[in-house]
Amino acid sequence: MTKRIFVFGMLIGLGAIFIDLLLSYTPDSALNQTARYYAERTATDLGAANIVAAVIVTYRGLDTLGEVTVLFLTAAILVMVLYRDHGIGINKIPNRFLPPTGEMLGTGSRLLVPLILLMGVYLFANGHLTPGGGFQGGAIIASAVLLLLLTNPNQTFNLQLFSLTESISGIGFVVIGVLGMFFAGGFLDNRIFPIGQLGELFSAGAIPVIYTLIGLKVGAEFSSILVHLSEEKEES
Amino acid sequence: MVLVVLAAGFMLILLGLYGALIHRNILHMIVSFSVADTGVNLVLIAVGYMPGRTAPILDSNVSVADAVERIIDPVPQALVLTAIVIGVGVTALMLAYAYRLYQTKGTLDISKFTELKW
Amino acid sequence: MVSPLFIIAAPLGTAFFISLFSKEKQRLAFLITLAAMLLMSLVSLHWVFTYLTSGPVDYYTAGTLPPFSINFRMALPEACLILLINLTGLFSTLFLKNSLLRMGRLSMAVLLIDIMSLSGIVLTRDVFNLFVFLELMAISTGGLVLLSEDNRAPAAGLKYLIVSQLVTILLLIGIIFAYHATGTLNIDGLTVASLTHSTGGKLAFFLILIAVIAEVKPFPANGWALDIYESAHPSFSVIFSVASSSAVLFATAKILSIAGPEWLPIASNVGIITFLAANLFALSQTNDRRLLGYSSLGQSGLVLAIIGQQDILGDHYLYVAGGILLAHAVAKAGLFWMSGIIKGRELTDWTTIQGHPFLIFSFATFIALLIGLPPFPAFYAKWELIHSLAGAGRFPLLAMILLGTLLEVGYLFRWFGIILKRKPDGPGVLQKKRHRKRMVIAATTAVGWGMGYLWGTLSPLGHLFHATPLLFALSFLLLDWLPARIKNSLAIAGLVGYFALQYAGYNPMQLIFASVILIGGAVILLAGFDNTGRRIGFYPATVLMFAGLIQLIEARTSFDFFAAWEILTVGSYYLILRGKQSEPHALSYILFSLGGAFLILTGFSLAAQGGYQIELQMLGTVPQSVAPWVFLFLALGFMTKTAAIGLHIWLPGAHAEAETDVSPMVSGILLKAGLYGLMLLLMTMGKQQLYGVELTHMLLWIGALSALLGNLLAIFQEDAKRLLAYSSIGQMGYALFGLALMNHLGWLMAMMFVINHYIYKSMLFLSIGGVARRTGTKEMYRMGGLLKLMPLSFIAVLIGIIAVSGVPPLSGFGGRWIFYNAIMTSEYRLPIAVLFLAGPIAFLYLFRLIHTIFLGQLKDEHRRIQEAPFWLIVPQMIFVALLMGVALVPGVALRRVDHYIGQFFPNEGGGLNWSGMTISSDFGYWNPVAIMVVVGVMFATLLAWLLFVNRQAQVVKQFNIVYAAERPYRPETTHFAWNFYAPYRKALGFLTQPLVTRFWQTVTDLLHAASDLFRRIYTGNGQVYAIHLLAFVVMVYLYSKGL
Repeated sequence: MTKRIFVFGMLIGLGAIFIDLLLSYTPDSALNQTARYYAERTATDLGAANIVAAVIVTYRGLDTLGEVTVLFLTAAILVMVLYRDHGIGINKIPNRFLPPTGEMLGTGSRLLVPLILLMGVYLFANGHLTPGGGFQGGAIIASAVLLLLLTNPNQTFNLQLFSLTESISGIGFVVIGVLGMFFAGGFLDNRIFPIGQLGELFSAGAIPVIYTLIGLKVGAEFSSILVHLSEEKEES
Repeated sequence: MVLVVLAAGFMLILLGLYGALIHRNILHMIVSFSVADTGVNLVLIAVGYMPGRTAPILDSNVSVADAVERIIDPVPQALVLTAIVIGVGVTALMLAYAYRLYQTKGTLDISKFTELKW
Repeated sequence: MVSPLFIIAAPLGTAFFISLFSKEKQRLAFLITLAAMLLMSLVSLHWVFTYLTSGPVDYYTAGTLPPFSINFRMALPEACLILLINLTGLFSTLFLKNSLLRMGRLSMAVLLIDIMSLSGIVLTRDVFNLFVFLELMAISTGGLVLLSEDNRAPAAGLKYLIVSQLVTILLLIGIIFAYHATGTLNIDGLTVASLTHSTGGKLAFFLILIAVIAEVKPFPANGWALDIYESAHPSFSVIFSVASSSAVLFATAKILSIAGPEWLPIASNVGIITFLAANLFALSQTNDRRLLGYSSLGQSGLVLAIIGQQDILGDHYLYVAGGILLAHAVAKAGLFWMSGIIKGRELTDWTTIQGHPFLIFSFATFIALLIGLPPFPAFYAKWELIHSLAGAGRFPLLAMILLGTLLEVGYLFRWFGIILKRKPDGPGVLQKKRHRKRMVIAATTAVGWGMGYLWGTLSPLGHLFHATPLLFALSFLLLDWLPARIKNSLAIAGLVGYFALQYAGYNPMQLIFASVILIGGAVILLAGFDNTGRRIGFYPATVLMFAGLIQLIEARTSFDFFAAWEILTVGSYYLILRGKQSEPHALSYILFSLGGAFLILTGFSLAAQGGYQIELQMLGTVPQSVAPWVFLFLALGFMTKTAAIGLHIWLPGAHAEAETDVSPMVSGILLKAGLYGLMLLLMTMGKQQLYGVELTHMLLWIGALSALLGNLLAIFQEDAKRLLAYSSIGQMGYALFGLALMNHLGWLMAMMFVINHYIYKSMLFLSIGGVARRTGTKEMYRMGGLLKLMPLSFIAVLIGIIAVSGVPPLSGFGGRWIFYNAIMTSEYRLPIAVLFLAGPIAFLYLFRLIHTIFLGQLKDEHRRIQEAPFWLIVPQMIFVALLMGVALVPGVALRRVDHYIGQFFPNEGGGLNWSGMTISSDFGYWNPVAIMVVVGVMFATLLAWLLFVNRQAQVVKQFNIVYAAERPYRPETTHFAWNFYAPYRKALGFLTQPLVTRFWQTVTDLLHAASDLFRRIYTGNGQVYAIHLLAFVVMVYLYSKGL
């Protein structure tokens, strides 16, 4: 009980900070210097119609590289946590009994999966033009895997493929970033390819390429996380 | 309007933290942290919102020339994406740890994992 | 020039690449990881050299200028940190080989990413990017914890993830509001936009700052870190403690640079509290890794506190912070790696490194690095830090830093004592020969010394490695494989040779001290020829002590003086620790000595008035506002070394338990360091008043009480060496008294004491040591009747006690004579009365010494023993000759000193008149030769009469009455020599109550109890740790509102 009261008290303290923040907050009426720069220059400098995509992939590309690395790390550590036998005191939790997948579910998911995959690909391939992008596309791809897992938890996946996709797209991302240092203005500069015509599919230099790589990578990583978390299987 | 969203975000954070610091079950804690994360993300986008403007995408509605007057700030949107992804990663990792700890002791009560102390 | 982005791209690419490998190719993956680490280290090294001369350079990404894109900044501090991080990574990878191979290529990828993220934290100039790298660090830390074979590690990892969730939330909220307030995420942009000038900006800044500080593991929100330290693989702990901490500390400094100096106190206060708490809690640790963890937390706290001092440190900020940070890094890396080759986890398990001199040397190096002993970087850094703090009037912080360091000294040196002195449980607990791991440890040790050299080069105050005596001492480390006799000859030659080179340049006072130290030291070292074998570790320690002593005498500035003081302290500590039973005594010795050293440091820093040092001769010009305080601190510090009553409890054990030839050194010579300090102090500063109290008057009282109580305690000892040790307390009391008289003759008498005490105390310790060696005991009632078997030792003791007691004709009488003259000219009656009382008491213990050891009946078990070893007798006979010589012609030494002292008392007649063989004062005259002749004639007459009478004496047989009726429960109680002065004990025993011992015991007990009580806040429950963090944030928020 004392713990509850203490935690409550401390959260009131934190709440006080938040209230102060809230009270001092006034919405902007015009774009601040950074946002204004992006609004004015993205189209001409980078050739991307989706400014958010330009910020994510190029202006703050280093964050994004870090972000995909977070997912990579998570997937890798997950394998380490779940499959490495640390010797004593580990009780294998037996696989629970699962009823067979119904006909409806099986057929339905087989129908839906290609559509979902297509949707995912569309999202990351057009990320520089319309709302969407690598992460969203990747997440949607992974949702196809989730669907398959939900309908048939005993489904097996080619984990090797996931990790291959993950690594190669990761290396690709880094390589494109480094190329930017040699052929354009700096690390992750998208202008190593021509920036093309604003609004075209093949425009905005390396952004769609990077987004595709991110999409594949995120899709593979989320998928492997899902598969690993669903049931314990032997490591590939 | 923005203030309401902000306040809601802050409330979610506080609620999530309360749950995470009171519940002893590790799964409950993880879920509570997810709630708090959601609150954070809400605050992030709310701060970047500007009434009466549209998404920062240049298309037939928003031309390059009037973008400055028409779009909202793209930066918080970019940041929130990163925050979400990182949040997902951490959550997944915590789940894995929870699973692992459950394997060793058959319980998810965080107060049972105190061999390391003092 | 390689772009710093390389340090991000290369490990990332490698990490993605090796995860492509199949399971069978773990080895190849390991090699590639290693190669990548090596390459990164080399590139970092290249940066360090590049940026030595050039200023900071910004590197942009995305072909866009900041603040619209993320940029990196590279300058010398960044380059050094990156090198530190990558070298740590490289060595840890080597050390982790087996674990990495076991866990597979993914773990290597995680390791690479961890190192990459730490570099990113250092380099990035964008707050959100900083957040991303911090998250990467947190997640990879959570993963690398699993490299450990410890089953508890995953729980520790989860605890960290829970806490880092909380940190993430605070950081993100802070970042977004900072962005809202200024329209930028760039650190420099935030500074330009003066983030902290608006209410919202201030709050946002607070949240960012507190989140980053939380990663520095502040008290009380650091329980999770301890759990990681305890359960993680030691080599990962190295990364966690060295690389991660350095990176987040640098990040904290970056964040703080956004705001003005008014935010610095947060860092100072959080840092210093963490430092104190961690060191306090470490006192009650028995688990080695957890102890190292506490120490790491403390050191990070200290660096955080220093970051908070950048407003007063100015140009020296990087030198100071870097010195502490890098010294800690090297030391902690070395210690954690060492724990990797030791199997047990208790501190006592480290006894297995006994018999591995190199590992012991490494350990000693590491703890010296941590504490900041010379010649290591933290020594220079702490010196400057303390001076800056004193200059700026930040005394509470100064006191807390020194107190925390003293706690650290306590547990680290206790550990060292355990390692050397405890019996190992069994052989072979040390892991089998692991050359790879030992190479890493050796390399770390070398880096530590190299950094000492570097910091000396950078120091504006003086380079310790440029002092010949110290180098000479260190060279014995390299020569330690030689036989003891060769080393002994070298040491003697070194001492004498150095004296021959230098003596012309000394003033008379220096000359007296230098002769006692160098020539006196050489004479005592003669006894060392008695040792065959190699006597590992003895000579480096001994010569180090002598080096410190002579550097002390030669020092002109406060910095040189203090460095020498610490060097001699460390050398003598190792020397004292060599005694069989000396573990606890050596510990209390080092605690008192370093405690005293810190007082001296405080005194000097006050005197320097904001400067970094002061000429010793200028101590007299210190402004009157601080002068009494300077005097007080310095005097207290010096009195820890002379073992003035109240600060004396370390002495009896340390002197009595030391080896036979060490006792004379630490008693006859080492104690003089304190006297020299006091003399210097009184010469330069003279009389000082604090709140109307005459401080020299206080010294007078302390001297008188030391003399009385030291002598009283001595008469009740059963142990002969302990008796001598207590008598030293009394003797030093006399010397202190003489100095505090503040007149010509008082000082002269003190100088005479320096010589006399050296001779007779060294001689007595040697002869009693010889007796103890032969009889196998130090307890006097177990001896007796040794007169005939050990005649030479008897002569030495006889001459010695005549000299000590101050009866004619030996030099002790001369001392007394000057002394009586001196007190006649002073007006302090009461302390003089006390001192007079002490005189006869000295007779009691001296009589007991000679009576119970050499006279009386011989014990059965001693019938076959022989005279003490030849090499122990040699110096004794030299001392006998010296005593005679000094008694006959005291003028040789004292005349010039007398004249020299005269210049300090120009207005006083008071001096002695040296004409021919006669010395005269205002009150009378003294002719040493005449006295010698008179006493000689009396002695010869009596002896002749005795011999004549002795013919008629009857020899009686011994018979034993002890077992007449029953077997006594404690046989010694029936021996006449046991509790020899029982009646006196009844009368005066109340004065010898161990009040002082009890006082210090209570202090340590309280500290330990507090440590054991308060560390229980770390319950081990991850949720509680998160609550701690929350509470920490709220507390600091409330505090900062008051700013």
